[in-house]
Amino acid sequence: MTVTEQEIARYVGQVREALADLPPAVRDELLEDLPEHLAEVAAEGEGSLHERLGPPEAYAMELRNAAGVTVPAATPNLDQRIGAAVRKGRERVHAADTRLGPVLGYPRLSDFLRLLRPAWWILRGYLAAMLITVLLTGTSFGLLPRLGGSSLAALLLLAVTITGSIWLGRRTDRMGRRPRLVLNLGAALLVLFGLAGFAELDSRAGGGGNPIPYEQVYTDQYGGVQDVYVYDGQGRLLEGVRLFDQNGQPIRLGSAWCAEAQQRYETMPDYGDLSRMTYPYCPEGAPFRFGPTTPPATGPVTPAVPTDPSATPDGTAPPATPSGAAATVTPSGGPTPSPTPTD
Amino acid sequence: MPSPCRTPSATLLPRWRYCALNSSITDVDTTQLLKGVLDLAVLAVLKDEDGYGYDIMRRLRSAGLDEIGDASVYGTLRRLFQAGLLTTYVVPSESGPHRKYYALNPAGRDQLLRSGKIWRSFATTMDTLLDDKGMAA
Repeated sequence: MTVTEQEIARYVGQVREALADLPPAVRDELLEDLPEHLAEVAAEGEGSLHERLGPPEAYAMELRNAAGVTVPAATPNLDQRIGAAVRKGRERVHAADTRLGPVLGYPRLSDFLRLLRPAWWILRGYLAAMLITVLLTGTSFGLLPRLGGSSLAALLLLAVTITGSIWLGRRTDRMGRRPRLVLNLGAALLVLFGLAGFAELDSRAGGGGNPIPYEQVYTDQYGGVQDVYVYDGQGRLLEGVRLFDQNGQPIRLGSAWCAEAQQRYETMPDYGDLSRMTYPYCPEGAPFRFGPTTPPATGPVTPAVPTDPSATPDGTAPPATPSGAAATVTPSGGPTPSPTPTD
Repeated sequence: MPSPCRTPSATLLPRWRYCALNSSITDVDTTQLLKGVLDLAVLAVLKDEDGYGYDIMRRLRSAGLDEIGDASVYGTLRRLFQAGLLTTYVVPSESGPHRKYYALNPAGRDQLLRSGKIWRSFATTMDTLLDDKGMAA
Protein backbone atom coordinates (compact mmCIF):
# COMPACT_ATOMS: atom_id res chain seq x y z
CA MET A 1 0.00 0.00 0.00
CA THR A 2 1.55 3.23 -1.11
CA VAL A 3 -0.98 5.60 0.40
CA THR A 4 -0.86 6.40 4.07
CA GLU A 5 -3.68 7.14 6.45
CA GLN A 6 -2.44 10.70 6.74
CA GLU A 7 -2.60 11.18 3.01
CA ILE A 8 -6.19 9.97 2.95
CA ALA A 9 -7.12 12.18 5.87
CA ARG A 10 -5.47 15.15 4.20
CA TYR A 11 -7.23 14.49 0.90
CA VAL A 12 -10.60 14.14 2.63
CA GLY A 13 -9.92 17.33 4.54
CA GLN A 14 -9.22 19.21 1.34
CA VAL A 15 -12.36 17.86 -0.30
CA ARG A 16 -14.30 18.91 2.80
CA GLU A 17 -12.84 22.39 2.53
CA ALA A 18 -13.89 22.63 -1.11
CA LEU A 19 -17.43 21.76 -0.06
CA ALA A 20 -17.43 24.36 2.69
CA ASP A 21 -20.43 26.13 1.22
CA LEU A 22 -22.72 23.14 1.80
CA PRO A 23 -24.77 22.88 4.97
CA PRO A 24 -22.70 20.90 7.49
CA ALA A 25 -25.26 18.10 7.71
CA VAL A 26 -25.30 17.55 3.93
CA ARG A 27 -21.54 17.70 3.73
CA ASP A 28 -20.99 15.26 6.58
CA GLU A 29 -23.45 12.85 5.02
CA LEU A 30 -21.67 13.12 1.71
CA LEU A 31 -18.21 12.59 3.16
CA GLU A 32 -19.20 9.98 5.72
CA ASP A 33 -17.82 7.06 3.78
CA LEU A 34 -15.11 8.86 1.86
CA PRO A 35 -12.15 7.83 4.06
CA GLU A 36 -13.12 4.16 3.76
CA HIS A 37 -13.76 4.52 0.09
CA LEU A 38 -10.40 6.16 -0.51
CA ALA A 39 -8.74 3.44 1.53
CA GLU A 40 -10.27 0.92 -0.87
CA VAL A 41 -9.05 2.94 -3.81
CA ALA A 42 -5.60 3.22 -2.29
CA ALA A 43 -5.45 -0.52 -1.66
CA GLU A 44 -5.73 -1.20 -5.38
CA GLY A 45 -3.36 0.37 -7.78
CA GLU A 46 -0.23 2.41 -7.53
CA GLY A 47 0.43 6.10 -7.09
CA SER A 48 -0.64 8.81 -4.71
CA LEU A 49 -4.25 9.83 -4.34
CA HIS A 50 -3.46 13.13 -5.95
CA GLU A 51 -2.07 11.41 -9.01
CA ARG A 52 -4.93 8.98 -9.34
CA LEU A 53 -7.88 11.17 -8.40
CA GLY A 54 -6.67 14.60 -9.39
CA PRO A 55 -6.76 17.69 -7.18
CA PRO A 56 -9.18 17.49 -4.23
CA GLU A 57 -11.03 20.58 -5.46
CA ALA A 58 -11.85 18.86 -8.77
CA TYR A 59 -12.82 15.69 -6.92
CA ALA A 60 -15.17 17.72 -4.75
CA MET A 61 -16.69 19.35 -7.82
CA GLU A 62 -17.34 16.00 -9.47
CA LEU A 63 -18.71 14.60 -6.23
CA ARG A 64 -21.02 17.57 -5.88
CA ASN A 65 -22.41 17.00 -9.36
CA ALA A 66 -22.81 13.24 -8.99
CA ALA A 67 -24.43 13.45 -5.59
CA GLY A 68 -26.84 16.06 -6.85
CA VAL A 69 -26.15 18.52 -4.09
CA THR A 70 -26.49 22.08 -5.16
CA VAL A 71 -25.30 25.18 -3.47
CA PRO A 72 -28.02 26.24 -1.06
CA ALA A 73 -30.14 29.11 -2.28
CA ALA A 74 -29.25 31.13 0.76
CA THR A 75 -26.20 33.22 0.00
CA PRO A 76 -23.18 32.26 2.03
CA ASN A 77 -22.73 34.39 5.09
CA LEU A 78 -20.25 37.23 5.25
CA ASP A 79 -17.52 35.17 6.88
CA GLN A 80 -17.66 32.59 4.12
CA ARG A 81 -17.71 35.24 1.43
CA ILE A 82 -14.73 37.02 2.91
CA GLY A 83 -13.01 33.70 3.32
CA ALA A 84 -13.69 32.83 -0.31
CA ALA A 85 -12.47 36.23 -1.48
CA VAL A 86 -9.30 35.91 0.56
CA ARG A 87 -8.74 32.40 -0.77
CA LYS A 88 -9.28 33.55 -4.33
CA GLY A 89 -6.97 36.50 -3.86
CA ARG A 90 -4.31 34.28 -2.37
CA GLU A 91 -4.61 31.86 -5.27
CA ARG A 92 -4.29 34.71 -7.73
CA VAL A 93 -1.21 36.08 -5.99
CA HIS A 94 0.27 32.61 -5.93
CA ALA A 95 -0.41 32.16 -9.65
CA ALA A 96 1.14 35.52 -10.47
CA ASP A 97 4.08 34.62 -8.26
CA THR A 98 4.87 31.47 -10.19
CA ARG A 99 4.09 33.01 -13.57
CA LEU A 100 6.21 36.13 -13.19
CA GLY A 101 9.15 34.37 -11.56
CA PRO A 102 10.58 32.81 -14.74
CA VAL A 103 10.46 36.21 -16.45
CA LEU A 104 13.17 37.33 -14.05
CA GLY A 105 14.91 33.98 -14.12
CA TYR A 106 13.66 32.73 -10.75
CA PRO A 107 11.27 29.90 -9.97
CA ARG A 108 9.02 32.40 -8.23
CA LEU A 109 8.76 36.13 -8.07
CA SER A 110 8.85 35.92 -4.30
CA ASP A 111 12.27 34.24 -4.49
CA PHE A 112 13.56 37.31 -6.24
CA LEU A 113 11.81 39.75 -3.92
CA ARG A 114 13.23 37.93 -0.92
CA LEU A 115 16.71 38.68 -2.24
CA LEU A 116 15.80 42.35 -2.22
CA ARG A 117 14.90 42.40 1.45
CA PRO A 118 18.24 43.83 2.69
CA ALA A 119 17.92 46.57 0.07
CA TRP A 120 14.53 47.41 1.50
CA TRP A 121 15.99 47.52 5.01
CA ILE A 122 18.53 50.12 3.87
CA LEU A 123 15.87 52.14 2.08
CA ARG A 124 13.72 51.95 5.18
CA GLY A 125 16.55 53.28 7.33
CA TYR A 126 17.15 56.11 4.90
CA LEU A 127 13.46 57.03 4.81
CA ALA A 128 13.32 56.94 8.60
CA ALA A 129 16.25 59.35 8.75
CA MET A 130 14.51 61.64 6.28
CA LEU A 131 11.32 61.51 8.30
CA ILE A 132 13.16 62.35 11.50
CA THR A 133 14.86 65.29 9.82
CA VAL A 134 11.70 66.65 8.29
CA LEU A 135 9.77 66.29 11.55
CA LEU A 136 12.46 67.80 13.77
CA THR A 137 13.71 70.64 11.64
CA GLY A 138 10.68 71.33 9.48
CA THR A 139 12.87 71.55 6.41
CA SER A 140 11.68 70.19 3.14
CA PHE A 141 12.67 66.83 1.75
CA GLY A 142 16.24 66.84 0.47
CA LEU A 143 18.66 64.17 -0.58
CA LEU A 144 20.58 64.06 2.68
CA PRO A 145 18.89 64.18 6.07
CA ARG A 146 20.78 67.29 7.14
CA LEU A 147 19.88 67.52 10.79
CA GLY A 148 20.72 71.05 11.79
CA GLY A 149 22.16 71.72 8.35
CA SER A 150 25.25 69.61 8.97
CA SER A 151 26.38 66.94 6.56
CA LEU A 152 28.23 65.12 9.29
CA ALA A 153 25.10 64.92 11.38
CA ALA A 154 23.30 63.64 8.31
CA LEU A 155 25.77 60.81 7.83
CA LEU A 156 25.68 59.90 11.51
CA LEU A 157 21.90 59.85 11.54
CA LEU A 158 21.88 57.72 8.39
CA ALA A 159 24.32 55.26 9.92
CA VAL A 160 22.17 54.92 13.02
CA THR A 161 18.83 54.50 11.26
CA ILE A 162 20.12 52.14 8.57
CA THR A 163 21.88 49.96 11.12
CA GLY A 164 18.74 49.94 13.21
CA SER A 165 16.60 49.04 10.23
CA ILE A 166 18.87 46.14 9.27
CA TRP A 167 18.91 44.95 12.87
CA LEU A 168 15.11 45.10 12.90
CA GLY A 169 14.89 43.37 9.55
CA ARG A 170 16.93 40.41 10.71
CA ARG A 171 14.61 39.96 13.66
CA THR A 172 11.29 40.43 11.91
CA ASP A 173 10.77 36.73 11.35
CA ARG A 174 11.03 36.01 15.04
CA MET A 175 8.55 38.68 16.03
CA GLY A 176 5.02 38.14 17.22
CA ARG A 177 2.00 39.10 15.21
CA ARG A 178 1.35 42.44 16.83
CA PRO A 179 4.87 43.92 16.60
CA ARG A 180 4.99 42.80 13.02
CA LEU A 181 1.68 44.50 12.26
CA VAL A 182 2.99 47.72 13.81
CA LEU A 183 6.15 47.38 11.75
CA ASN A 184 4.21 46.87 8.52
CA LEU A 185 2.00 49.85 9.24
CA GLY A 186 5.08 51.95 9.90
CA ALA A 187 6.61 50.72 6.65
CA ALA A 188 3.49 51.69 4.72
CA LEU A 189 3.60 55.18 6.23
CA LEU A 190 7.31 55.49 5.44
CA VAL A 191 6.69 54.47 1.84
CA LEU A 192 3.92 57.06 1.52
CA PHE A 193 6.17 59.70 3.07
CA GLY A 194 8.98 58.68 0.73
CA LEU A 195 6.79 58.84 -2.36
CA ALA A 196 5.50 62.28 -1.40
CA GLY A 197 9.03 63.47 -0.68
CA PHE A 198 10.45 62.18 -3.93
CA ALA A 199 7.59 63.73 -5.88
CA GLU A 200 8.33 67.07 -4.26
CA LEU A 201 12.06 66.70 -4.87
CA ASP A 202 11.44 65.73 -8.42
CA SER A 203 9.28 68.73 -9.15
CA ARG A 204 11.86 70.98 -7.49
CA ALA A 205 14.59 69.49 -9.66
CA GLY A 206 12.46 70.34 -12.65
CA GLY A 207 12.02 66.74 -13.64
CA GLY A 208 8.27 66.85 -13.72
CA GLY A 209 8.07 66.80 -17.48
CA ASN A 210 8.76 70.53 -17.69
CA PRO A 211 12.49 70.96 -17.82
CA ILE A 212 12.41 74.77 -17.95
CA PRO A 213 10.39 76.71 -15.41
CA TYR A 214 7.28 78.14 -16.93
CA GLU A 215 8.21 81.83 -16.69
CA GLN A 216 11.15 81.42 -19.02
CA VAL A 217 9.24 79.83 -21.80
CA TYR A 218 8.61 82.15 -24.73
CA THR A 219 6.81 80.54 -27.54
CA ASP A 220 6.97 83.86 -29.27
CA GLN A 221 9.77 86.26 -28.60
CA TYR A 222 7.38 89.14 -29.26
CA GLY A 223 4.86 87.82 -26.78
CA GLY A 224 5.64 90.71 -24.48
CA VAL A 225 5.01 93.34 -27.17
CA GLN A 226 1.93 95.42 -26.42
CA ASP A 227 2.08 97.93 -29.19
CA VAL A 228 4.23 98.85 -32.17
CA TYR A 229 5.62 102.31 -32.86
CA VAL A 230 7.10 102.99 -36.25
CA TYR A 231 9.43 105.95 -36.76
CA ASP A 232 10.63 107.23 -40.05
CA GLY A 233 14.17 108.24 -40.87
CA GLN A 234 13.67 111.64 -39.27
CA GLY A 235 12.47 110.15 -36.07
CA ARG A 236 8.89 111.03 -36.67
CA LEU A 237 6.26 108.69 -35.31
CA LEU A 238 4.19 107.19 -38.06
CA GLU A 239 0.54 106.52 -37.37
CA GLY A 240 -2.01 104.34 -39.08
CA VAL A 241 0.62 101.84 -40.09
CA ARG A 242 0.05 98.24 -41.05
CA LEU A 243 2.70 95.58 -41.01
CA PHE A 244 2.96 92.62 -43.35
CA ASP A 245 5.35 89.78 -43.69
CA GLN A 246 6.97 88.60 -46.90
CA ASN A 247 3.88 86.57 -47.76
CA GLY A 248 1.49 89.42 -47.33
CA GLN A 249 0.20 88.12 -44.06
CA PRO A 250 -0.62 90.91 -41.62
CA ILE A 251 1.67 90.95 -38.63
CA ARG A 252 -0.34 91.17 -35.47
CA LEU A 253 1.46 92.22 -32.34
CA GLY A 254 0.09 93.52 -29.10
CA SER A 255 -3.47 94.44 -28.35
CA ALA A 256 -5.74 97.38 -28.01
CA TRP A 257 -4.51 98.08 -24.53
CA CYS A 258 -5.63 101.68 -23.94
CA ALA A 259 -9.10 103.16 -23.81
CA GLU A 260 -8.62 105.09 -26.99
CA ALA A 261 -7.70 101.98 -28.92
CA GLN A 262 -10.57 100.10 -27.41
CA GLN A 263 -12.96 102.73 -28.59
CA ARG A 264 -11.44 102.78 -32.04
CA TYR A 265 -11.65 99.05 -32.15
CA GLU A 266 -15.30 98.98 -31.21
CA THR A 267 -16.37 101.64 -33.66
CA MET A 268 -14.65 100.03 -36.60
CA PRO A 269 -16.95 99.20 -39.49
CA ASP A 270 -16.14 95.54 -39.38
CA TYR A 271 -16.03 95.21 -35.67
CA GLY A 272 -13.94 92.43 -34.37
CA ASP A 273 -11.44 92.22 -37.16
CA LEU A 274 -8.31 93.08 -35.28
CA SER A 275 -6.23 92.75 -38.41
CA ARG A 276 -7.70 96.02 -39.68
CA MET A 277 -6.45 98.00 -36.74
CA THR A 278 -3.46 100.17 -37.51
CA TYR A 279 -0.34 100.75 -35.47
CA PRO A 280 0.21 102.18 -33.08
CA TYR A 281 -2.85 101.24 -31.17
CA CYS A 282 -2.16 103.90 -28.63
CA PRO A 283 -0.06 106.77 -29.99
CA GLU A 284 -0.06 108.30 -26.52
CA GLY A 285 2.13 105.50 -25.33
CA ALA A 286 4.95 106.23 -27.78
CA PRO A 287 8.33 105.75 -26.12
CA PHE A 288 10.03 108.57 -27.99
CA ARG A 289 8.74 112.01 -28.84
CA PHE A 290 10.57 114.29 -31.22
CA GLY A 291 8.42 117.30 -31.61
CA PRO A 292 4.93 117.17 -32.99
CA THR A 293 3.79 114.07 -34.64
CA THR A 294 3.97 114.57 -38.31
CA PRO A 295 1.62 112.93 -40.61
CA PRO A 296 3.55 110.50 -42.66
CA ALA A 297 4.54 111.57 -46.07
CA THR A 298 1.95 110.87 -48.61
CA GLY A 299 2.89 108.36 -51.15
CA PRO A 300 3.37 104.69 -51.14
CA VAL A 301 5.02 103.38 -48.09
CA THR A 302 5.55 99.70 -48.24
CA PRO A 303 6.47 98.38 -44.87
CA ALA A 304 7.52 95.04 -46.16
CA VAL A 305 8.12 94.08 -49.67
CA PRO A 306 6.46 90.78 -50.32
CA THR A 307 8.71 88.44 -52.13
CA ASP A 308 5.81 86.54 -53.52
CA PRO A 309 4.34 88.59 -56.35
CA SER A 310 0.98 86.91 -56.14
CA ALA A 311 0.57 88.15 -52.65
CA THR A 312 1.44 91.73 -53.38
CA PRO A 313 -1.16 94.09 -52.06
CA ASP A 314 -2.14 96.01 -55.12
CA GLY A 315 -3.14 99.03 -53.18
CA THR A 316 -2.48 102.56 -54.05
CA ALA A 317 -5.89 103.98 -53.25
CA PRO A 318 -5.92 104.71 -49.56
CA PRO A 319 -9.27 104.16 -47.94
CA ALA A 320 -10.34 106.26 -45.04
CA THR A 321 -8.45 105.23 -41.97
CA PRO A 322 -10.24 104.97 -38.68
CA SER A 323 -8.06 107.63 -37.15
CA GLY A 324 -8.90 109.92 -40.01
CA ALA A 325 -5.90 112.09 -39.32
CA ALA A 326 -3.30 110.05 -40.99
CA ALA A 327 -3.43 109.09 -44.57
CA THR A 328 -2.10 105.63 -44.93
CA VAL A 329 -1.17 103.39 -47.65
CA THR A 330 -3.44 100.47 -47.24
CA PRO A 331 -3.85 97.54 -49.46
CA SER A 332 -7.29 97.99 -50.91
CA GLY A 333 -9.76 95.49 -49.72
CA GLY A 334 -7.69 94.99 -46.64
CA PRO A 335 -5.40 92.12 -46.18
CA THR A 336 -6.99 89.69 -48.50
CA PRO A 337 -3.95 88.54 -50.32
CA SER A 338 -3.86 85.04 -51.57
CA PRO A 339 -0.54 83.97 -50.23
CA THR A 340 0.94 81.03 -51.90
CA PRO A 341 3.56 79.74 -49.54
CA THR A 342 6.42 78.49 -51.55
CA ASP A 343 6.83 75.36 -49.51
CA MET B 1 -3.55 20.62 -33.46
CA PRO B 2 -5.85 18.77 -31.03
CA SER B 3 -4.00 15.59 -30.35
CA PRO B 4 -5.92 12.55 -29.21
CA CYS B 5 -5.65 12.30 -25.48
CA ARG B 6 -5.09 8.86 -24.05
CA THR B 7 -5.79 8.23 -20.42
CA PRO B 8 -3.12 6.25 -18.62
CA SER B 9 -4.75 3.28 -16.99
CA ALA B 10 -3.37 4.26 -13.61
CA THR B 11 -5.43 7.40 -13.35
CA LEU B 12 -8.94 7.26 -11.98
CA LEU B 13 -9.76 10.63 -13.41
CA PRO B 14 -12.57 10.68 -15.91
CA ARG B 15 -10.99 10.91 -19.31
CA TRP B 16 -12.41 14.33 -20.16
CA ARG B 17 -10.96 15.76 -17.00
CA TYR B 18 -7.60 14.15 -17.47
CA CYS B 19 -7.49 15.51 -20.99
CA ALA B 20 -8.75 18.89 -19.86
CA LEU B 21 -5.90 19.04 -17.42
CA ASN B 22 -3.45 18.15 -20.11
CA SER B 23 -4.69 19.83 -23.24
CA SER B 24 -7.70 22.05 -22.54
CA ILE B 25 -9.84 20.10 -24.99
CA THR B 26 -12.80 18.60 -23.21
CA ASP B 27 -15.11 15.79 -24.20
CA VAL B 28 -18.10 17.50 -22.74
CA ASP B 29 -20.64 15.57 -24.78
CA THR B 30 -20.11 12.16 -23.27
CA THR B 31 -19.93 13.61 -19.81
CA GLN B 32 -23.21 15.37 -20.28
CA LEU B 33 -24.84 12.17 -21.48
CA LEU B 34 -23.33 10.18 -18.67
CA LYS B 35 -24.67 12.54 -16.06
CA GLY B 36 -28.21 11.56 -16.93
CA VAL B 37 -27.70 7.80 -16.88
CA LEU B 38 -25.08 7.28 -14.20
CA ASP B 39 -27.73 6.17 -11.69
CA LEU B 40 -29.03 3.61 -14.12
CA ALA B 41 -25.54 2.39 -14.96
CA VAL B 42 -24.64 1.90 -11.31
CA LEU B 43 -27.90 0.11 -10.61
CA ALA B 44 -27.31 -2.09 -13.64
CA VAL B 45 -23.85 -3.28 -12.61
CA LEU B 46 -25.20 -4.15 -9.16
CA LYS B 47 -28.06 -6.19 -10.59
CA ASP B 48 -26.35 -9.55 -10.52
CA GLU B 49 -23.57 -9.03 -8.05
CA ASP B 50 -22.99 -6.80 -5.02
CA GLY B 51 -19.91 -4.65 -5.12
CA TYR B 52 -17.78 -2.10 -3.28
CA GLY B 53 -17.00 1.37 -4.61
CA TYR B 54 -13.77 0.73 -6.44
CA ASP B 55 -15.06 -2.56 -7.80
CA ILE B 56 -18.20 -0.87 -9.13
CA MET B 57 -16.15 1.66 -10.98
CA ARG B 58 -13.98 -1.04 -12.44
CA ARG B 59 -17.08 -2.82 -13.73
CA LEU B 60 -18.41 0.38 -15.30
CA ARG B 61 -15.11 1.07 -16.98
CA SER B 62 -14.67 -2.43 -18.28
CA ALA B 63 -18.21 -2.20 -19.65
CA GLY B 64 -17.01 0.70 -21.76
CA LEU B 65 -17.89 3.73 -19.65
CA ASP B 66 -14.31 4.83 -19.30
CA GLU B 67 -15.36 8.44 -18.91
CA ILE B 68 -16.39 7.76 -15.35
CA GLY B 69 -14.43 9.25 -12.48
CA ASP B 70 -14.14 7.92 -8.96
CA ALA B 71 -15.90 10.87 -7.39
CA SER B 72 -18.87 10.35 -9.70
CA VAL B 73 -19.25 6.73 -8.66
CA TYR B 74 -18.83 7.51 -4.98
CA GLY B 75 -21.27 10.42 -5.17
CA THR B 76 -23.84 8.36 -7.06
CA LEU B 77 -23.60 5.51 -4.57
CA ARG B 78 -24.12 7.93 -1.69
CA ARG B 79 -27.17 9.39 -3.37
CA LEU B 80 -28.73 6.05 -4.30
CA PHE B 81 -28.12 4.86 -0.77
CA GLN B 82 -29.78 7.92 0.69
CA ALA B 83 -32.70 7.53 -1.69
CA GLY B 84 -33.22 4.08 -0.14
CA LEU B 85 -32.37 2.07 -3.27
CA LEU B 86 -29.28 0.34 -1.88
CA THR B 87 -28.30 -1.53 1.21
CA THR B 88 -24.75 -1.76 2.47
CA TYR B 89 -22.70 -4.20 4.46
CA VAL B 90 -19.08 -4.25 5.44
CA VAL B 91 -16.80 -7.13 4.61
CA PRO B 92 -13.62 -7.33 6.69
CA SER B 93 -10.50 -7.91 4.70
CA GLU B 94 -7.37 -9.58 5.94
CA SER B 95 -4.88 -7.89 3.69
CA GLY B 96 -6.39 -4.44 3.16
CA PRO B 97 -9.04 -2.14 4.53
CA HIS B 98 -12.61 -3.23 5.19
CA ARG B 99 -14.80 -2.98 2.17
CA LYS B 100 -18.25 -1.51 2.08
CA TYR B 101 -20.43 -3.52 -0.26
CA TYR B 102 -23.50 -2.12 -1.93
CA ALA B 103 -26.48 -4.25 -2.90
CA LEU B 104 -29.77 -3.56 -4.65
CA ASN B 105 -32.79 -3.77 -2.38
CA PRO B 106 -36.30 -4.31 -3.77
CA ALA B 107 -36.80 -0.58 -4.26
CA GLY B 108 -33.54 -0.51 -6.17
CA ARG B 109 -34.57 -3.38 -8.41
CA ASP B 110 -37.87 -1.68 -9.07
CA GLN B 111 -36.10 1.54 -9.93
CA LEU B 112 -33.71 -0.29 -12.24
CA LEU B 113 -36.61 -1.86 -14.08
CA ARG B 114 -38.48 1.40 -14.56
CA SER B 115 -35.46 3.48 -15.48
CA GLY B 116 -34.30 0.75 -17.82
CA LYS B 117 -37.58 0.85 -19.70
CA ILE B 118 -37.47 4.61 -19.99
CA TRP B 119 -33.89 4.45 -21.25
CA ARG B 120 -34.67 1.77 -23.83
CA SER B 121 -37.56 3.70 -25.25
CA PHE B 122 -35.49 6.85 -25.30
CA ALA B 123 -32.57 5.10 -26.97
CA THR B 124 -34.88 3.61 -29.59
CA THR B 125 -36.32 7.01 -30.30
CA MET B 126 -32.87 8.47 -30.72
CA ASP B 127 -31.80 5.60 -32.97
CA THR B 128 -34.82 6.10 -35.20
CA LEU B 129 -34.23 9.79 -35.29
CA LEU B 130 -30.63 9.36 -36.35
CA ASP B 131 -31.54 6.70 -38.92
CA ASP B 132 -34.24 8.91 -40.39
CA LYS B 133 -31.88 11.75 -40.79
CA GLY B 134 -29.33 9.50 -42.35
CA MET B 135 -26.84 10.15 -39.61
CA ALA B 136 -26.48 6.60 -38.41
CA ALA B 137 -22.92 5.71 -37.84
